[in-house]
Amino acid sequence: MLGEFEYLLITAAAGLGDGAYGVSIREEIEKTTGRTCSLGALYTTIERLEKKGLLKTWMGDATAERGGRAKRLVRVTAKGVQEAKTFYEAVMRISRRAAWVTD
Amino acid sequence: MNSLPQSLLALSARLLESDEREAVLGDLAEVGHGAWRSAGEVLGLVMRRQVLLWTGWRPWLAALGVALPGTLLLMGASLSISCTYERLTRGQMFGACAPTGHEGPLLLACHIALLLIWAWTSGFVVGAVSRATLWVSVAVCLSPCLYCLSKFHESSVSAACLYLFLPPAILGARQGLRMIRIRPGVALAVAGLATALMVCAWGNGALFSLNWALIFPAWFIALLAWSPANGERA
Repeated sequence: MLGEFEYLLITAAAGLGDGAYGVSIREEIEKTTGRTCSLGALYTTIERLEKKGLLKTWMGDATAERGGRAKRLVRVTAKGVQEAKTFYEAVMRISRRAAWVTD
Repeated sequence: MNSLPQSLLALSARLLESDEREAVLGDLAEVGHGAWRSAGEVLGLVMRRQVLLWTGWRPWLAALGVALPGTLLLMGASLSISCTYERLTRGQMFGACAPTGHEGPLLLACHIALLLIWAWTSGFVVGAVSRATLWVSVAVCLSPCLYCLSKFHESSVSAACLYLFLPPAILGARQGLRMIRIRPGVALAVAGLATALMVCAWGNGALFSLNWALIFPAWFIALLAWSPANGERA
C-alpha cells in the first residue's frame, strides 16, 4: 500500500499529465495541501516509486528558463494508477463512518 | 559561482548523479530561489540520499565489515613484515613482534605476498561494494591509521612501516570503483592462492589467528565473480 506522500505525488503527476516534472509536481502538492514539499522528499520519493514500477521518468530537453538544464519528466505507470486507486478506495472506505464525513 | 552559498550549492550538487544534478539545478533555476535556500535544498537531498544508502547492507559491509577491521589487521601485518625484514637484514630483535621471531626469508616472502593479496582484495571490496559511501569507508580506514601514528613510539623502525598495506589497498579500491567484473577463474585462483599461503604460514606458526579474517575479501570477490548478479553496482 502506498504512503500518504507517495499517493499525493502519484496523483499530482497523474493530474499534470505530460507536464509532470519536479517543479510542477512540487507546486501542485504545495498548492493543494498547503504544506511545504522539500526537493529532497520529492526526488527520493520519485526514485523509490520508479524502483517499485509505479512511475517512469526520463530526461527531457534543456530550456533557457532553466539555465539550459533539462527537466526530469514523470509519468504514472498502469501499476501506479492501480496502487493509487487502491489507496484512494481504502481511504474512502475507512472514512465512511467518520464524524467529519457523516456530519 | 564565487559567493559562499553558490560555492556550497555547486559543491553539494556534485554529490548527486549527473541526471539528477541536471534536473535539480534546473528546477532551482526555474523557481528562482536564493542561493542559500537552493544550497539548503540540495544539501537536504544529498543527506537523504546518503541516509537511504545506509538502509542496505553494502555500506555496512564496506565500512565496518572490511575497512575498519581490515585496516587494524593490515597495520599489524605491515609492522610484522617490517620487523621481520629488519631482523633478517640487520639482526634487530623486536619484543612487540614476537610472532615473527622465527620467520625465515621464505616465510617473509609468503607474508609479503599475503599482505599484497589481503590489501588489494580488501580495497577492491570496499571500492566495488559501496561506491557511493566510499568516503565513509576511507574515513573509517584513516581513523585507526592516524590513531596508531600518534601512538607509535618504536624508534628502530619507521612509522611508515605501519602503512605498507596502503598502496595495494588504494590500487584495489580504484580498480573496484572502475570495474566490478573479475573473471571467475582469476578470482578463484587468487582466493585459492591466498588460502594456500595462509595455511602454509599458519602451519609454521607465523600467522595471527585473527588474520584469517583477511581471507574474507578474496573469497567474497570469488563469490561475486561467480554470481549471476556480477556487474551490479551500488
